[in-house]
Amino acid sequence: MLIPGIPRLLVLAFFLLLPFVGNLYLVNQFTLLLVYGMFAMSLSLLWGYVGLLCFGHAVFFGLGAYIMAMVTKQMIPGMDGILSSSLAGILAAVGFNALFALILGWFLFYGRLSGPYLGIVTLAISVLVERIFINWYYTGGYNGISSVPALSFAGWEFSDPRHLYLLVFVLSLCAYLFLRRVVNSPFGAIISAIKHNEARAESFGFHATKYKIKVFAIGASVAGLAGALFAAAAEFVSPTELGFKMSTEVLIWTALGGREGLIASFMGAVTVKLLENYLSEALSEYWVLIIGFIFLLSVIFFPQGLFGRLLENRNKGWSVTSPQRSKTKKEGRVC
Amino acid sequence: MLRVQGLEASYGESLALQGVDLSVEIGEIKALMGRNGMGKSTLLKAIMGLVKIRRGEVAVEGRSVTGMPTFQIALEGVGYVPQGREIFASFSVLENLRVGLLRFPRAERVIPKEIYDYFPLLKERENQRAGSFSGGQQQMLAIARALVGRPKLLLLDEPSEGIQPSIVEEIAEILKKINQETGLTILVVEQNINMISDIADSCAFMEKGRIAYACAMEEIMRDESIITRYMSV
Amino acid sequence: MSAAVQILNGLNYILVLILVAMGLVIIFGLMNVINMAHGEFFLLGAYTVVLTSKMGLGFWVGFIFAPILVGLLGAILEAVLVRRLYHRILDTILATWGVSIVIKQGIILTFGPEGLMVKPPMPEMVTFAGISYPSYRLFIMGVALFVIAATFYLFLKTDFGLGARAVIANPNMAASLGINTRRMYLTTFSLGSAIAGLAGATMAPLMSCDPHMGLGFFIPAFLAILVGGASSLGGILVGGGVIGGAQNAISSVYSPVVAQIVVFSLAIIIIRMRPEGILGRKARD
Repeated sequence: MLIPGIPRLLVLAFFLLLPFVGNLYLVNQFTLLLVYGMFAMSLSLLWGYVGLLCFGHAVFFGLGAYIMAMVTKQMIPGMDGILSSSLAGILAAVGFNALFALILGWFLFYGRLSGPYLGIVTLAISVLVERIFINWYYTGGYNGISSVPALSFAGWEFSDPRHLYLLVFVLSLCAYLFLRRVVNSPFGAIISAIKHNEARAESFGFHATKYKIKVFAIGASVAGLAGALFAAAAEFVSPTELGFKMSTEVLIWTALGGREGLIASFMGAVTVKLLENYLSEALSEYWVLIIGFIFLLSVIFFPQGLFGRLLENRNKGWSVTSPQRSKTKKEGRVC
Repeated sequence: MLRVQGLEASYGESLALQGVDLSVEIGEIKALMGRNGMGKSTLLKAIMGLVKIRRGEVAVEGRSVTGMPTFQIALEGVGYVPQGREIFASFSVLENLRVGLLRFPRAERVIPKEIYDYFPLLKERENQRAGSFSGGQQQMLAIARALVGRPKLLLLDEPSEGIQPSIVEEIAEILKKINQETGLTILVVEQNINMISDIADSCAFMEKGRIAYACAMEEIMRDESIITRYMSV
Repeated sequence: MSAAVQILNGLNYILVLILVAMGLVIIFGLMNVINMAHGEFFLLGAYTVVLTSKMGLGFWVGFIFAPILVGLLGAILEAVLVRRLYHRILDTILATWGVSIVIKQGIILTFGPEGLMVKPPMPEMVTFAGISYPSYRLFIMGVALFVIAATFYLFLKTDFGLGARAVIANPNMAASLGINTRRMYLTTFSLGSAIAGLAGATMAPLMSCDPHMGLGFFIPAFLAILVGGASSLGGILVGGGVIGGAQNAISSVYSPVVAQIVVFSLAIIIIRMRPEGILGRKARD
């Protein structure tokens, strides 16, 4: 079941070998790129696979980062010792996001809010939470929290950038395998069926709303994990990470990479962010203008994204969608 | 009036049109018959530009309308009364009729008197909400709404569906009268043989997305086995 | 600040919010398209005024030109972009959102990221029954009321409105009756955009104009539509009243951030409690 195609094998090999050939600066840079890639994959799950176009997805990333920072800096009263370890931070970030998304999903999905409207509500949340953190003195306001402790597990600190990189790499791979497992499982088949024809899925006896809430929580959790790793790797977190700007960026990464594929989205994040790192200095404010234009063109002319075709795996997966559809539309689930 | 040649199209889950050839002469009432799901409604939709045409051609009075947007086909003189009537339920009767007039310049947006002669009910109830009409009344409204646009060709999709027999008869009479007095050409999809035999001049039968047989009405009168061949389930 | 002034200010905000929401909702109602660039159209309206003030042409030239320019831009956008994506409704959201990024960044590049002030065009105060109130704010309320009433009139009483309502109710049937749906879409998109541009222009002298002000109006306007329901124009009056009123009342007592939190939570709860009122009729995607 897990036989990656050649392009995906190359992606894997590249990221695996990077710390052994690249310099430390590059390794540090790519650690964050991995984190962004993981973040983009979580959006791809919601957007590409379920049709939940989240305009404010960064809220989950940012909350994950803030929780990680606050737990490991012992800023949460009553949480010290083992409860302020990296692992506790990650678990808290993931758990909080899952809970937050479940509650939010309960309100919104039962409010019969469908895809795009829900997406814009998440944008509202993202902007709102950004404002809250800007105005919250305890978490550093506009400047956020700095000197977030590096990751450490059972006394072993990941202070060497290469070790940190490898850890984040392994976690990204795990996140990928997990998300891939989700979309290729019967559960994934049902959410895909819901995406294509909700009424039909309901008529088969699937409670569409419950499935949507669950997948929303999964997407939020993975974004939270990415956020937590970001806080530890970058050693800081600021309101930018949960607000409008970040939400915009992750949407562009995912769209340009290819929303309907996990690895495609991942590569979208890595590529765009890498280009930004090198070009934004020369182009300054024009960078956003240019990337906005490219995004616009991609929506019209290649909605599959840059890597959508290249990395697409045409295995049949579990297509439970309406039989007519799967005949006419190629149902090859990506990754 | 209408010429359809080699028309191919598909619509949702219903059977595709697989090369329909059909022509309707000026001033005639042509009935289009066949069992359910044979593509009759799809054909009307395709003529109206509501279904994407894959191949073939539709011409009205010798002018090709293939690929035109729907509103332009309407402006070429094709009126359409869809299955289920699709009146604007929340609008008043008068508003429904006025929608049919919007294509004209402002000064010409007057409902022709003849419409009310044919359908006096629509004058009496002009301020009533159209959704509160019975099926038969809605059908009359839908026909009248198409007629205020002064079409040359009227496409009617199952006008008798779900309507009580006495009203069906009344509608049939009115259609015949309009046809005789104004020379309006009508292509009507219908399952109701009684209605067809009252009004139609000629007949075409569809089977599996094609016209299987076409003939004058007299031929059917002489040989009823044609009907059983194409209509019985 | 006296209570009366407070209430007038609240009313002021509500009316402008309804204006913004109305532009969104007529586009949405007719075309099922959520114009994500709506906030940036508001922004462009405001910056038109900023520009004419800078150029020495004064406020009023900008005030007249803002709806015209933004309406024109809306028409162009519909013709070259939205029209291509008719059959991919979800992608129209993305595309208009891409447009919003480009417009906003264009504004940043042209005018800089910092807030800009516009000289108040009507600095004098009006005193009535012991209450002194800026005449310009009264002017805004008048303009907003007029445009809201005119839009209602247009859609409910005119032939154009009849056609538009027919397209909303059943686009295929309307087209079959000879209504030029394409032109209808173009006109409506342009009109909705122009209203946003006008709203931006009227607000410019009241606030510091920065590139993010569009979003600041787009989000509450969107929430107002969700709360009020998009199926009728009347819904926006309710939604705008609830969202705008709560926002204003709470921020005058506590702070704008608290107000935003409360208003947002309120909106979410209303959506949960009364889903049928929220985009009920048009829930298809």
